[in-house]
Amino acid sequence: MAISLDLITGAISFLFTLLILSYVIGDNPLFKIGTYIFVGVSAGFIAAIAVWQVVIPRLVSPLISTSVSITEKGLLLVPLLGALLLIMKISPRLSGMGRIVMAFLTGVGAAVTIAGALTGTLMPQVMGTINAFDMAPYQGNAGLLLESITNGAIVLFGTIFTLSYFHFGARPRADGSMRRLGLIEIFAWVGRVFIGITLGAIFAGVYAAALTALIERLSSLINFIGNFL
Amino acid sequence: MRVITVFIAVVSGLLVLSGYFLTGFFPVLADVQTLLLNWAIILMGVAALVGIFNLITVHTDKIRRRETGSFYSAILVFFLLGTFFLGLILRPEHGLMGVVMNGIIIPVEAALMGLLSISLLYAAIRLLRRRADMMSVIFLIVAALVMLGSATLPFVNLPILGITSRWITQVLALGGARGILIGVALGTLMTGLRVLFGVDRPYGGN
Repeated sequence: MAISLDLITGAISFLFTLLILSYVIGDNPLFKIGTYIFVGVSAGFIAAIAVWQVVIPRLVSPLISTSVSITEKGLLLVPLLGALLLIMKISPRLSGMGRIVMAFLTGVGAAVTIAGALTGTLMPQVMGTINAFDMAPYQGNAGLLLESITNGAIVLFGTIFTLSYFHFGARPRADGSMRRLGLIEIFAWVGRVFIGITLGAIFAGVYAAALTALIERLSSLINFIGNFL
Repeated sequence: MRVITVFIAVVSGLLVLSGYFLTGFFPVLADVQTLLLNWAIILMGVAALVGIFNLITVHTDKIRRRETGSFYSAILVFFLLGTFFLGLILRPEHGLMGVVMNGIIIPVEAALMGLLSISLLYAAIRLLRRRADMMSVIFLIVAALVMLGSATLPFVNLPILGITSRWITQVLALGGARGILIGVALGTLMTGLRVLFGVDRPYGGN
């Protein structure tokens, strides 16, 4: 059974890889069929996961279970009511009722985003910039110490110059045009160079990943054909 | 209605946010936060189902009106419903759903990613043709250096390439990336705070 399932998986994978890679010769019906099936299958899979891994275990099962306390069941009536209001969004006449749930989700989402931005990005990045000047590991080695300070300074100035590029505060000039402060303008120009370097490095990373995926797909095609030769 | 929606958004947001930072002073906030997040997870699951139902409605409308591309819409709806009912009956962890995942979803994603390598190469060539300024040249030289530095080159061994590539990615690009990330985080923070203060009401409370 396992072998036949593997064979079916391999055959389907082979077919869909061909459908998608047919885009190399231009946008064509085979590519469109492949992408539409992909969207349909992915959406169906997500819907099944939403039912089995979210709605049933977190809402339906606790509500019908005898081992869950009345208080917990009572608290679950709120998301149950919310779910009913959300379902009303399907009807254009009743869609306004779902606004309350959307407001709740937006509020919670905003709070999670703020906490994530603060603790997941802002603080670690600031601490990373500060820690680049930590000299303790290089005590006694002047060469490494100098290299570490230089690199830390480049990273620090790169960060400041890049942030300056996104500073759009401007003052009106005598001729009526708006212009940033001279110093900010210089910082922003250097910041552009840093952004160019960063995007170049990111491009290289994405390109390497994409090339790896292409090679993996091509080798899977060759291997599948090779199984029958 | 407007006041109620703004009130719900602000209060739920502030309660969840204080659950992250004020639990040391008010331990009960941790329980409130967990409860609200659990409600949000359930409602997000239902919202995903409503969204997918909307996708089906849009495509069935296209089929009914016999619009251009309705054949593809029919394929989409057929496979969507087929996968959904298969997953509903067998559960997502069943072997047949594994065939769907490993035979369709993962290979198509990998193949699309592979196509990206061709599109990116084409875009890089077009960039030099259309806008051959200093920034484009810096961008492409850095991209080429980083790629050559991380690849194993045939016939030649150039350690300087690897050293330069590492220095570019770990120092120069790190400075720019850190600036971009801090900028994005500050922007995200401001957007979130605007929602929490009721200045922005993307849920339709204007």
